[in-house]
Amino acid sequence: MTSATMDTAETHPEQMGDSEWRIVWRRLRRKRLAMASLVVIGIIYAMGIFAPLLAPYSYTQQNLDIPRQGPSRQHLLGTDTLGRDMLSRTMFSARTTLIVTTAVVLSGSLVIGNGLGLLSGYRGGWVDALIMRVGDVFSSLPGLVMLILINATLGTRVIEAVRGFERTTGITGLVASGLPSYLLVFSALSLFFWVGTARIIRAQILQLRERDFITSAEALGATPYRVIRYHLLPNVAFLIILQVSATLGGIAGSEIVLTWFGVGVQPPAASFGAMLFEGSGPRTFQQSPHLLLVPGGVVTLLLFAFNLLGDALNDAVRGR
Amino acid sequence: MRQNRMLAILLGVLSTLVLIVGGLSASLLLTGKGGTSGTNSSRSDTGSGATAASGRIRIPGTDPSTMDPHLASDSTSAEYIVEIFSGLVTIGPPPKLDLQLDLAKSVEISPDGKTYTFVLRDNATFHDGRKVTADDVKWSIERAASKQLASPTAMSYLSDIVGMPEYFQGKAQNIAGIEVVDPSTIRFKIDSPKPYFLAKLSYPTSFVVDRKQVEANPRNWTRKPNGTGPYMLTEWRLGERIALTAYDKFYLGTPKLKEAVYLISGGSALTRFENNELDIAPLSINDIDRARDPGQALSKLYSSSPQFSISYIAFNSKLPPFDDPAVRRAMGMAIDRKKISDVTFKGMLAPASGIMMPGLPGYTPEVKTLQFDPNAAKAELAKSKYGTGPGKIPFPTITMTEAGGGASAGIDTQAYIEQWKTVLGLNIEIKQLDFATFIADQQSKKLQMFSAGWVMDYPDPEDVMDLKFYSTSSLNEQSYSNPAVDKLLDAARSEKDTNQRLDLYRQAEKLIIADAPWLPLYYSLAHQVVSPSVKGWFEPPMVLPRLRFVEVTR
Amino acid sequence: MGAYVIRRLLWLPVLLLIVSFSTFALARYGPGDPVAVIAGQVRDPVVLAQIRADRGFDRPIPEQYLMWLNRAIRGDLGESYLQRGFSVSELIFPKMWISAQLGMVALIIVFAVGIPLGLLAARLAGTWLDPMIIGTLLFLQAIPVLVVIPPLTWLFAVKLQWLPVGGWDGIFALYWIAGVIAIPIPNPHLYIPLVAFTLPGFVGVARLVRVTALEVNLEDYVRTARSKGLSEAAVQFRHVLPNALLPLITVVGFALAGIIEGAFFVETLMGINGIGRLTFEAVTSRDYDVILATTVVFAAAFVICNLIAELIYGVVDPRVRLGSSRS
Repeated sequence: MTSATMDTAETHPEQMGDSEWRIVWRRLRRKRLAMASLVVIGIIYAMGIFAPLLAPYSYTQQNLDIPRQGPSRQHLLGTDTLGRDMLSRTMFSARTTLIVTTAVVLSGSLVIGNGLGLLSGYRGGWVDALIMRVGDVFSSLPGLVMLILINATLGTRVIEAVRGFERTTGITGLVASGLPSYLLVFSALSLFFWVGTARIIRAQILQLRERDFITSAEALGATPYRVIRYHLLPNVAFLIILQVSATLGGIAGSEIVLTWFGVGVQPPAASFGAMLFEGSGPRTFQQSPHLLLVPGGVVTLLLFAFNLLGDALNDAVRGR
Repeated sequence: MRQNRMLAILLGVLSTLVLIVGGLSASLLLTGKGGTSGTNSSRSDTGSGATAASGRIRIPGTDPSTMDPHLASDSTSAEYIVEIFSGLVTIGPPPKLDLQLDLAKSVEISPDGKTYTFVLRDNATFHDGRKVTADDVKWSIERAASKQLASPTAMSYLSDIVGMPEYFQGKAQNIAGIEVVDPSTIRFKIDSPKPYFLAKLSYPTSFVVDRKQVEANPRNWTRKPNGTGPYMLTEWRLGERIALTAYDKFYLGTPKLKEAVYLISGGSALTRFENNELDIAPLSINDIDRARDPGQALSKLYSSSPQFSISYIAFNSKLPPFDDPAVRRAMGMAIDRKKISDVTFKGMLAPASGIMMPGLPGYTPEVKTLQFDPNAAKAELAKSKYGTGPGKIPFPTITMTEAGGGASAGIDTQAYIEQWKTVLGLNIEIKQLDFATFIADQQSKKLQMFSAGWVMDYPDPEDVMDLKFYSTSSLNEQSYSNPAVDKLLDAARSEKDTNQRLDLYRQAEKLIIADAPWLPLYYSLAHQVVSPSVKGWFEPPMVLPRLRFVEVTR
Repeated sequence: MGAYVIRRLLWLPVLLLIVSFSTFALARYGPGDPVAVIAGQVRDPVVLAQIRADRGFDRPIPEQYLMWLNRAIRGDLGESYLQRGFSVSELIFPKMWISAQLGMVALIIVFAVGIPLGLLAARLAGTWLDPMIIGTLLFLQAIPVLVVIPPLTWLFAVKLQWLPVGGWDGIFALYWIAGVIAIPIPNPHLYIPLVAFTLPGFVGVARLVRVTALEVNLEDYVRTARSKGLSEAAVQFRHVLPNALLPLITVVGFALAGIIEGAFFVETLMGINGIGRLTFEAVTSRDYDVILATTVVFAAAFVICNLIAELIYGVVDPRVRLGSSRS
């Protein structure tokens, strides 16, 4: 899922220090929709974090006597085809979304994207050219096709690697916990989600480099680390946040899509993708609409909240 | 403002382009087939009056992977091939499934059971009118068995013929065991008496193809094949439709049905059936409740028929913990197949009572498979060498592999996993592989346990018992080996008395089920609705020619 | 600018080389074997070895790649393993054409609906209607295509039986009046897929139009036009619209990408035999040549579309200096 990063690309935040953070936050606080979105995201993520504590049932516990039942007192959101509690599965699916989005943001957007963007903008020359050309390659690949291909072909390899790791270290339960599929989904997603961040950061750094305070810092003999850490990073921090908020929806959506195609998170691990798959089909919808509407509703709400929040953040940073 | 005018011009150009493309496709449609949109008024057009509307059947279809009978190994391809081509013998409609003569008008089997002499029908012709000769048959079978063609089915269907393996490996110029006696007589010699040889010859691998056509265009001849069957392939648009038209000089008489159209794209078949866009619709799990509800008109058109196919879970007898039969048996008794089928498949599959399926010679209806019994399952597991107690080996990680494309492909698998966990306390991981990887791993016998299916190629128990359970068979993917079973299978292979032969297979079946290398899960059933205007349609347990029996009255 | 275009065009083959090689390596180094797929359930090792040798699968992967490249340069994209007797080009181009037609119509609808909504939102700026329009569109964007299709199909195809359940039957259908006169109408097969395709796209277009229109509305010449007593429709059409369209060119690429990805679900769920469905099937069954061909064609189309968008942008807006990304 490509997310529109156009808007953020045009932002030119002024130099900002701690107080500016507070100003932006105050602006954001005034936007009721943004706050509502934050609350929604917070609730869904909290559901994910505390799923093991909050969920009334285990997400794998089946009761074949009550399949596909609508909401009831015992099962607030009904049950699925195997009589599993939909509420519990929703919570654990939120957990999957939480894990994947966090991991991809951390690795893809923050570490790789920013790192390469900073490096590219600061060093320039052949380093810049190389990074940007690699970025060109990734951005001209049909993302979803490649994600499906990577996950379909490398899935077994990753599981085997993790199993080998278990054998040599004596740690057990990694494969059983579904770690390999998480690992694969998030590293594949990271591969495609760094480019946007890197480009924007680079553009911003290129502009900043010409500014007086950087040139003077360099003239005074500041080490590259100092320049980046104290002069450049604080100035691109907002861009980074904007970029992250713009990609969150795309990352969450991609995981769902990959799982829907059967190449993402593997069962019995819960994922909205798997839940949606079970509920799709017009006749299934006719007979047990909750199979689609429950996960569909939560996903829509989450993506909507991401969209609104991204928008509001954008406005707040631009001074609106 | 200049750039705006420029932009306006560009937009103008763009919209003109759109109009042109649109007009073009519209005119293409106008000159091509009549529109088949869902609106009522246009439906009157779908009959396309010119092509004898009364004799036309509309079937939901899929693109075959090939129309070459010698290369096809999937049932989708075979479904078209058996209508377009034909061979010396064929198998008649269910329930008899008897062997019938097709291109041959007679067959004579020598007393030692090793020589088969066929005489061809005098009126057997290719679709272009050329007479079929014994040379055509010989050339076709030698083509199918050639090293260059590398047919995936040649070895399983033709290797009984003397000299075929040598020819297949490129060590001989032709197949020694095939002899053209005269233009209408052909003789086969096989390596040992095999009661199922004729059944094997009914498969597309032995079908006759037109030498001239194949040699003239080795790569593309299958687009308009010159076959010998009752129907000619008259249209094949990838992803859209396939049309078969009756060959009026077919040797068994002109087929009653003029045309069969397979519609390849489209959504739910049942809805299209109800919209009168199709005459036949297979039912999916979402439709079955409605079709079975006696209050619904649809239920009068509904039928279900057994298929020669079985799904199973296989345990690799060489890999722990499945080197211990007690573990395999315990797992078999821990799952409630009936209930799982009722819940996850709405009872669309029948729990298997054995390995041989209903309708197959040798099948017996009494239940032989392990039944759901949690206490017996626990007791059985306690007998195994694996476990937590003293002197027991701790259980290794168990992974169950299955092929799956969609996310919830393993919904029944998830149910088994849960039952193994609750009944036996075993934590089993599921691994879903895409089909290509799955069969590669399955073949290399490195899967610890997997769920799979087997579809019969010809109606003889040999096709499942020998192929899947003989210790040295390459298809014995679960590394199963039992000398007693091997002995029974060896004996059955050459036993000439049918009843005794089937009895040997029944004995082997019992031994195999007791060893539990497989947990037979379900026999497949085909569920379908058929329009009342279609007569003579049947859902065979395996791919068989059937259009020649069909009539459409409308 | 000529030099810039040439540079970009020279980059294209390099890019395609990289793309094709990585796809190739990924498909071949990954586990799985197309030969085993085509061989069916009875798999004789001798036969498999023979097929592999015929196809060259037994050779080192770099050598296989060079063989592929050598053929591809001459226009032969190979042969499908799942659809034997058909070349890859014969297989993919008709399906691409189906998807492209659908995509083009979707794109036109996205713009046709998005632009007026954007203008409207800009006109209503300051009232509660502006955020409501944009908010609604944002919401539509958030509903996954996977969730949209089943209810629509159920309602319109199953319950009301107004529309067919799916499939592909061309862009236009013939509507027969009294069985005599035929007029082409948009094919009812397309309605549900098009809704699914276009819903997520509106917001991007509308938002961009809105932002530009807001700026233009404040420009002197627009104010002058209004003060001259020009009707609002005329002002919007003559002054605001042309300016608001300009930045839209840049999102064509984005919109296309979204539509290509949407094709995967829409085609799978609606039974349309387009390129999305084919690609997915090819990936799961390791139909190497088809996978390669589709990714390469996708990548090329992607790059070319973006280049064209850039060029048009450069032509219509001379302020944009192509190639001077630095500084």
